[in-house]
Amino acid sequence: MDVQSRGMQGEARSREILLSCKGIVKSYNGPIVLDHVDFSVYRGEVHSLVGENGAGKSTLIKIITGATNRNEGDIIFDGKPIPLEFSRRDAQAAGIACIYQELSLIPGMTVAQNIFLGKEPLMRGVRIIDKKAMNRMAQDLIDRYQFPLKATTIIDDLSIAHRQLAEILKALSDKASLMIMDEPTSSLTRTEVEMLFKIIHMLRDQNISVLYVSHRMEEVYHLSDRVTVLRDGKLVDVLERDRISPAEIIRLMIGHKLEEKAVHHRLVPKNGPVVLEVRNITSLGKFEDISFDLHEGEILGIGGLVGAGRTELVRALYGIDPIDAGTVRYLGKPYVPSVQKAIASGIGFIPEERRRQGILPTQTIRTNIAITNLDVIAPRHVTSRKREQELAMDGIKVCNVKPADPLHLVGNLSGGNQQKVVLAKWLVRNLRLLFIDEPTVGIDIGAKEEIYEHIQRLAASGVSIILVSSDLPELTRLSDRVLVLRKGRIIKEFKDCVLTGEKILRAASGITEEVEDEA
Amino acid sequence: MKHKALSTEIKLLAVLAGLMVALSLLSPRFLTIDNLTNVVWSVCLIGILSSGAIYPRITGGIDLSLGSMAALTGIIVDRFMNHMGLHWIPAILLTILIGALIGLFNGFIVAKIKVPAFVVTMAAKTYLYGIALVVSQGAMMAILKPRPFLEIGTGRLLGLPNPIYLMAVLVAVSQFVLRKTAFGRKVMAVGANETAAQLSGVDPDRIRIVSYTISGATSAIGGVVLASLTQQVFAAAASGIELDVMTALVIGGTSPVGGRGSVAGALLGAIMVAFIINGLNLMNIPAPYHPIVTGTVILMALLLNEGQFKGKFGRAAA
Amino acid sequence: MSSHVKRRLVLGGLMLVIIIVLTLINPVFLTMGNIQKMLQEAAQTGIVAIGFTLVMITAGIDMSIGAIIAITSMVSINFLTYTKLPVFAFVPVTLLVGVFAGLFNGFFITRFKLPEFIVTLATKGILSGLALVIAVKDSMGFVQNVYIQNDSYLWFGSQTFGGIYRTTIAFLLLGIATQFFLKNTKTGNNIYATGANPGAARLTGIDTDRVVVGVYMFSGLTASISAIFISSRMMTAMPELGLGSEMDVIASVVIGGTSFSGGYGDIWGTMMGAVFLALIKNGILKLGISPWVQPIVIGGLIVVTVIIDVWQKKLGEAIRTRARLRKIGPTAKAA
Repeated sequence: MDVQSRGMQGEARSREILLSCKGIVKSYNGPIVLDHVDFSVYRGEVHSLVGENGAGKSTLIKIITGATNRNEGDIIFDGKPIPLEFSRRDAQAAGIACIYQELSLIPGMTVAQNIFLGKEPLMRGVRIIDKKAMNRMAQDLIDRYQFPLKATTIIDDLSIAHRQLAEILKALSDKASLMIMDEPTSSLTRTEVEMLFKIIHMLRDQNISVLYVSHRMEEVYHLSDRVTVLRDGKLVDVLERDRISPAEIIRLMIGHKLEEKAVHHRLVPKNGPVVLEVRNITSLGKFEDISFDLHEGEILGIGGLVGAGRTELVRALYGIDPIDAGTVRYLGKPYVPSVQKAIASGIGFIPEERRRQGILPTQTIRTNIAITNLDVIAPRHVTSRKREQELAMDGIKVCNVKPADPLHLVGNLSGGNQQKVVLAKWLVRNLRLLFIDEPTVGIDIGAKEEIYEHIQRLAASGVSIILVSSDLPELTRLSDRVLVLRKGRIIKEFKDCVLTGEKILRAASGITEEVEDEA
Repeated sequence: MKHKALSTEIKLLAVLAGLMVALSLLSPRFLTIDNLTNVVWSVCLIGILSSGAIYPRITGGIDLSLGSMAALTGIIVDRFMNHMGLHWIPAILLTILIGALIGLFNGFIVAKIKVPAFVVTMAAKTYLYGIALVVSQGAMMAILKPRPFLEIGTGRLLGLPNPIYLMAVLVAVSQFVLRKTAFGRKVMAVGANETAAQLSGVDPDRIRIVSYTISGATSAIGGVVLASLTQQVFAAAASGIELDVMTALVIGGTSPVGGRGSVAGALLGAIMVAFIINGLNLMNIPAPYHPIVTGTVILMALLLNEGQFKGKFGRAAA
Repeated sequence: MSSHVKRRLVLGGLMLVIIIVLTLINPVFLTMGNIQKMLQEAAQTGIVAIGFTLVMITAGIDMSIGAIIAITSMVSINFLTYTKLPVFAFVPVTLLVGVFAGLFNGFFITRFKLPEFIVTLATKGILSGLALVIAVKDSMGFVQNVYIQNDSYLWFGSQTFGGIYRTTIAFLLLGIATQFFLKNTKTGNNIYATGANPGAARLTGIDTDRVVVGVYMFSGLTASISAIFISSRMMTAMPELGLGSEMDVIASVVIGGTSFSGGYGDIWGTMMGAVFLALIKNGILKLGISPWVQPIVIGGLIVVTVIIDVWQKKLGEAIRTRARLRKIGPTAKAA
């Protein structure tokens, strides 16, 4: 990254507070996600918000942008108090703009049309859009901020990065004084990232505040005037410019929970026979030159930031997406992944986003468990009710699904129990290898512990597991060995050592020097 | 789900019983053998078509070509037997094969080229009607032979019309396939959540193609039965029957967005539709008026079904 | 932009070729009378297709348009037969019937979140039955074929100065107005936004439900406008009038480049599509081919056009991702 663009070179910034949050409390029916958090953004600064997954970042952002409402606490924006009931529309009207990851542009329309959607300039006296004026106003806006865009280009013809710029323009035209960017660089190329950074600097020079949320430490380091660190729903610290360093941020994010076994874990090598042998596999634009061996009964953790290629790697190995180059051997034989073959030969897959990818919501627990076990239930195409019921009861018992009624609709279960059903449909099989992608997102503590126990018991019984997780305590606690991906490549392997979440995060962030300060 | 399907079916039975009582009170002609035979015939046709049409519907698609398909296959089977001199058995088998192939073609476009199902099958409905016109030269043709062919529709076994047995077999087979076979599970899974199904080892494209093929085959069977029953074939023979079939499916609890459905429910739906139509006939309301009632019934059934799932995961599977 | 210009050029070129071939085979084709008739045909379908285009831009579908044509023409016939009301007094009422049918569709679709397709199919059933109920009947209860003799009503379907049918002129004017409306008003923008990205549209403050109800009402309106022109031209109307015409309409809209997934398309395309379709149908007639082939051609055209559209889109996407991968490739290596 361009070093000279880092920060604002000591130039004095205004200390006028634009956004001030005091004592924000939020709980989603029970567990407290934000616990009396104070947070403020100055006018015209780039402020980063960091924290591990589940630290409460996204909830705070949602509260500020009106996507959800807080339970307690005061927010003052631009001198005006923000009421408890506050919608996304209200936030926009107040001047808070969010550059969404799922882009909020209208395809098929021009940049100018998108910028002025809902507030098109009309000709005098008639309700007809003055297109000339609209294009001119849009182009003026573009020129003022020197964006590499044209007002009349259709959105569909723009790259993702340029679409983001169009969104920023849209926010600018709304006179936004606070712009929130949530992981804006996760699908941008290097040059595109540099372009975005230039724009962010430009915004700051125009006295617009940018609230930047990212897992990428080097970006946070290069951009931020201040950094707020959250951990477990609480405010940890606010770092001023001179205290910002990737290592310090990571230290604060992870905290001093070193005595806890959850984050401080001794990796013991497992040297059983090799189950999966991966050599130099590449999938264009997703991951590159990945090689590793997976041993029997081993839990291989895969760490890395969002967009590092972790999910893509397990999807390719399971046979959903194609592999462009490299070889895979499974149980000693050459193996070309395909989903059907995988299931037939003892491989299972627990996807991320269980609601979208994991469950059949309108069907029963029994049918959900049956769908991956049709070979057992219906060896000659006809299903055996008896065997199906046995499998379902088996799965429910093993995974402790509640309610223990095989005829209950899965869509009506809690998140934790839905995940248990997804787990159960594989656990009732004779597995050799299981891919697990983010198994405990949005699941309460109790169910989480149960799922951990299952994963460990499974490994103890000889099943090899590849575990992708952004939850660092989860990764350090469960794994026997950890590979860290960065930008599609293996950047670090942790084995036979003491592992902490901090080490993983440092590696994932590209900080290569070793941490000395702990045993 | 089993609980729910069962309760839907029981509710339907209750409504049906009520409907029968009402009809017999309304018209003394209702409970006569002749009248009930008429009802049975129309139940048979809708039932046969529904037993296959339910598959595309559960995968989240729809087959609107079945009316044109039934008419066309009726014409084709007549051509085979009475113009090309084929024996009636191979003629029927060939006709069903043709129906299946057309269904396969529809399914291929829906699954592989990802064109919305209603567009594909609606277009198919149109061009199949055209083909039927061309083949029949736009004429209505009477089928007077062969005898065994006519027996399929008009004959009786143990006092009951033959089509009843055919329909019963098809509905039973279809219900069996849907509930008791791996294929049936896969169809439901594709409709409920395509991604999850795929990750569980189901090939959604293949399931879709097979579903439309089945629907094509049952439409052809329906066409053969219709031709034999009415002893005449013409291009518009079954036009508009897709509305009746969809009504039967909706009443029978097949979800408008896919993932759920029951052939037994659809059969009850078919009986209900047939009773309603029969009731209208008994009250001397001519056939072209009937869509007013079927249309209203569809909307009402949709609203009732929707209410069941609202707020939980109504359109989540869409 | 360029892709739909290309599409228009291809369509225009195709039409030119067809015209030349048809003229060579049958010189009757290129006579004033035939072209006038052909354009009138195009206009009758096209007027409905204009409303339908708006529905499709919002990613919806309206299967009830044929039935709306049937019921509106029956309402007109009733006014003509049983009242002495002047035409200008009852035509607005007739049009309101179509608008109300659209409101009904829109209400069920937005209020209960039901699939557009099944709702409008049900409406189709209800309206086509109702058309028969209100049809003018003789003492035996048989539907009477009313011969329209009201000159002011026949004015709609007859020719004007220069020999161009009023239907064609209405089609042109309505097309131009709707195109202008779509591209130059806020509501027009809202219609596109609702179809392309409803979530984002709502966030910008667009009431998407209102937009949806509105386009179905407009679709009902255009169907009833067309009904008046058709019945006036035929000087009579049957309760079956318009039934099945939805396929012609869908074909026009699809050929014109409006996509089923919403957000794309415009009236120029639809107007070209309508003329193209009329040309094909006219050609079939003029070549002495059996009219029974027409449904085959129309159904086939829809399937082929949609397949080409999907393929083209896929191809474009593939090229774009390839280009993108090439860009990302070296970065990944450098990391």
